[in-house]
Amino acid sequence: MAAPEASTAAVPTLYTNNTLRNAFGGVLSFFILLLIGVLAFSIRLFSVIKYESVIHEFDPYFNYRVTQFLTKKGIYEFWNWFDDRTWYPLGRVIGGTVYPGLTLTAGTIWWLLNSLNIPLSVETVCVFTAPIFSAFASWATYLLTKEVKGAGAGLTSAVLLAMVPSYISRSVAGSYDNEAVAIFALIFTFYLYLKTLNTGSLFYATLNSLAYFYMVCSWGGYTFIINLIPMHVLLCIVTGRYSSRLYIAYAPLVVLGTLLAALVPVVGFNAVMTSEHFASFLVFIIIHVVAFVYYIKGILSPKMFKVAVTLVVTVGLAVCCAVIAVLIALVASSPTKGWSGRSLSLLDPTYASKYIPIIASVSEHQPPTWPSYFMDINVLAFLVPAGIIACFLPLSDASSFVVLYIATSVYFSGVMVRLMLVLAPAACITSGIALSEAFDVLTGSIKFQLPGVTSNAEVDAGETSSDTSEAQTDEVHSVWAAAEAYSAPSIVLTTRSRDGLHVFDDFREAYAWLSHNTDVNDKVASWWDYGYQTTAMANRTVIVDNNTWNNTHIATVGTAMSSPERAAWEIFHSLDVKYVLVVFGGLIGYPSDDINKFLWMVRIGGGVFPHIKEPDYLRDGQYRIDSQATPTMLNCLMYKLSYYRFVETDGKAYDRVRRTEIGKKYFKLTHFEEVFTTHHWMVRIYKLKPLKNRIRGKAKKSKSKTSSTSSSKRSGTKKKNPWQ
Amino acid sequence: MAISYIHLFILSFVSISRFLEISKAGAESELVADLLTLQSQSESGVIHLDDRTVSKFITSTKTPRPYSLLIFFDAILLHDKSDLRLPVLVHDFALVASSFIANHNGSNTKLFFCDLEFRESQSSFKLFDVNALPNIYLVGPDAESLKDDTEQMEQSGFTRLTESLVEFIESRTQLTVGPIHHPPIISKKQMVLIIGFLLIWSPFAARKIVAGETMFHNPRIWLSGAIFVYFFSVSGAMHIIIRKMPMFLMDREDPNKLIFFYRGTGIQLGLEGFMVGFLYTIVGLLLAVVTHVLVYVKDLKTKRIGMLFSIFVSFWAVKQVIFLDNWKTGYAIHGFWPSRWN
Repeated sequence: MAAPEASTAAVPTLYTNNTLRNAFGGVLSFFILLLIGVLAFSIRLFSVIKYESVIHEFDPYFNYRVTQFLTKKGIYEFWNWFDDRTWYPLGRVIGGTVYPGLTLTAGTIWWLLNSLNIPLSVETVCVFTAPIFSAFASWATYLLTKEVKGAGAGLTSAVLLAMVPSYISRSVAGSYDNEAVAIFALIFTFYLYLKTLNTGSLFYATLNSLAYFYMVCSWGGYTFIINLIPMHVLLCIVTGRYSSRLYIAYAPLVVLGTLLAALVPVVGFNAVMTSEHFASFLVFIIIHVVAFVYYIKGILSPKMFKVAVTLVVTVGLAVCCAVIAVLIALVASSPTKGWSGRSLSLLDPTYASKYIPIIASVSEHQPPTWPSYFMDINVLAFLVPAGIIACFLPLSDASSFVVLYIATSVYFSGVMVRLMLVLAPAACITSGIALSEAFDVLTGSIKFQLPGVTSNAEVDAGETSSDTSEAQTDEVHSVWAAAEAYSAPSIVLTTRSRDGLHVFDDFREAYAWLSHNTDVNDKVASWWDYGYQTTAMANRTVIVDNNTWNNTHIATVGTAMSSPERAAWEIFHSLDVKYVLVVFGGLIGYPSDDINKFLWMVRIGGGVFPHIKEPDYLRDGQYRIDSQATPTMLNCLMYKLSYYRFVETDGKAYDRVRRTEIGKKYFKLTHFEEVFTTHHWMVRIYKLKPLKNRIRGKAKKSKSKTSSTSSSKRSGTKKKNPWQ
Repeated sequence: MAISYIHLFILSFVSISRFLEISKAGAESELVADLLTLQSQSESGVIHLDDRTVSKFITSTKTPRPYSLLIFFDAILLHDKSDLRLPVLVHDFALVASSFIANHNGSNTKLFFCDLEFRESQSSFKLFDVNALPNIYLVGPDAESLKDDTEQMEQSGFTRLTESLVEFIESRTQLTVGPIHHPPIISKKQMVLIIGFLLIWSPFAARKIVAGETMFHNPRIWLSGAIFVYFFSVSGAMHIIIRKMPMFLMDREDPNKLIFFYRGTGIQLGLEGFMVGFLYTIVGLLLAVVTHVLVYVKDLKTKRIGMLFSIFVSFWAVKQVIFLDNWKTGYAIHGFWPSRWN
């Protein structure tokens, strides 16, 4: 690039005391990085300050539970863990079906702290894992960008990454999910790849494979790395940038990385058998052919080489074609029949919407609209083009990698909003480069003009201040996003009204009740959303959970919820269920309750058990619970468990979510009894009445209807039920 | 003698009834054989019915029939009506049919896929009481009245026909359909052609690459490509393609007015996206021009004008995007200043 050279020539005096200057710069950089780490950590603490140190959402509870198991039982037990507390009576093999990176990381941190006599609970460690790794991720970004454009750009990128909203959304304190550590692993792997590419050192190449291994352990998104790096290698070869450094950066990664990846149980032989990985093998072959050509070129005279090229090219091409044919055959016969659905929908964006409705229906897989970019990367969206251009002036191996990274990730993010997370680091790196170059050039020109300040410098200063103001806009936006948009843990809810702040802590109240008042082996049925939380917080066996691997099982629960009381009782009883938990928001107006999810229970249930028919629950094509509701709806278990005794609250039974009075207000339960309802009625727990009631009811059919309530009272005095 | 008469009578009754049974079974197997022939004659395995064949296979046979018929009601007249999506549905129906036949190795005699065309078979349409399209009916083995005993597929199923059709068949007939065989994106012939072309072209390409003379060696192409991909993605073009969003909408209240901006986060219009994508990109491009070109310009006046222009345009673009974003999403971003600053 021309600018630094010009400045070197113009002010040679500045470079006289080079060593001191570098040392000073190094110390300053260190402290700046430390502050960036603090910033990255502290901007993610809003959730802890606003709520408390608590794990968020649903999936993190599963990860938390796995971590608890790991810290209690040790790594070998964890590896072989068969969990019989979920998917009763099927169970689930946890050790072989999770990405263990996050769990092992938090487990190690906990173990380390404990061995240093710092007694933190596993939960605290889990809550703060994500913020800690965000600090690591910013440092990794510094290292990566430093390899591309020097320390200044590195520092700017690091500070941008510390507060990019897209990444904050997945890494606030309490958001204990795979992405929390995976983004660090992703950036660090890329850094080590570029470091190897710049130095040609085998040491870094080995570290790179280890970093890749860590990434494979952490997140399914590792396939992005194993496709992006080969793409870059191919790009370098095609544009005539092949060097031995490139070979060292790539070949060990493929060999060691693939071997290591195959060690992770959840990946296993997929590392060599699924087509997501084939690109890397193809490029592995190509790079060998190219290396061979360069070797021949080195040992032959130019004239001989020309002759040899023809020969080598023909032979090489023949070999290449043969191997490509084999690869294509392998792709065609691989278990997933080529690429997996998600990957295919990245290549052909319309694929998922045409053929895979399950992928297309998930909100994370929707294509984003333009406001998503403003929300998730904010002003970086404006700076990226400048960064791309800066990468081309001049184009190096490392900067071409950054360009490729931003181009692929921005395309992928356009297809699936979820991949915005992969775009965020790339956007930070390019924006950091752009900002740093702009500062470099513009502040430089002020400096040279200082002796007699002219208006030119003022304009420059204006431009610099406009850059600074953009950075400030970014900061305000990021802090706002971190504080307002992404910090709600969804297990504790708050609302602000005229009389002040209201806290709804009903979920934890209910789970605590379960864990204190029920037997440890009791089975609790609920809709699958609450499965992870029930196992983690109440430590009770559930029928279905958020790992929705068995559709029939979910459909069974859906069917029970949509059946009349007696049929539901029979289904639940056959599954040994003792308690049924429903989430009800009608009293306080919590919209994501079970009645609102009820249409999915009916649909999923009806998909497997045809006697559940959706039209039976619909009046004029709508789910209604008011006086217009269908009899099937008013008699199904979900309606009854949700609205049982609801009329006692206000006398009218007005549902605040559906904004209507309910259809059937006074009814009694025959096969279930209410055992606990939380403070705001958000969670209601019912117990299945014991079997003998049913036998009695059968024997005295005529009386059963009238005596069903009193029979439960009497049941306590009779003989114990042999089935219990 | 009387006894022998009775015997004879019983014998003849038994033999006649058996003969009738055999002939009935014979007729049934003939019908199935006919259906199989018709099925094999059609390319996708969808049997084309008309009024005559409807009577032959459905109305004039006795129940229970040994087969079920799944009938797709088609009207060539309406194929150009894009909101009905009839050609797509015909294609999907044929896809399920051919997959079903392939999965059962052609040995299936329980279920046949058929279609009826409105012009040819108007009376059959009346029999089924079909007066709206698209429509799919399942005629079960026991169905006598085509109006009452047949099962109609729900209208909601037509948005994802292949999947819901499979569900419909599996739940109503207890037959498994098996995996759907989507046709490959490239046919075998095309594949051979492409491979042949690549084989011939590759030596030339390799030569050029070794010599470094391709357009890939020109960084400017990569640069413009990268910027274009960026512009394309941030403008939400993928959203437009996948969701098939229009470039703009007509205002319902005032037909002369066009709507370019849609309020609400989930949806965006084409031109709206490209406009904002342009705003996103222009700031970065201007910054790059300032950093890499403008500072080296010798003429002071050009430099100043250029600088002021960039500052002005950048401010304007960022302000526009913030304004549009707040308008579209309804978010109000605020800083967390000390309260006395407000």
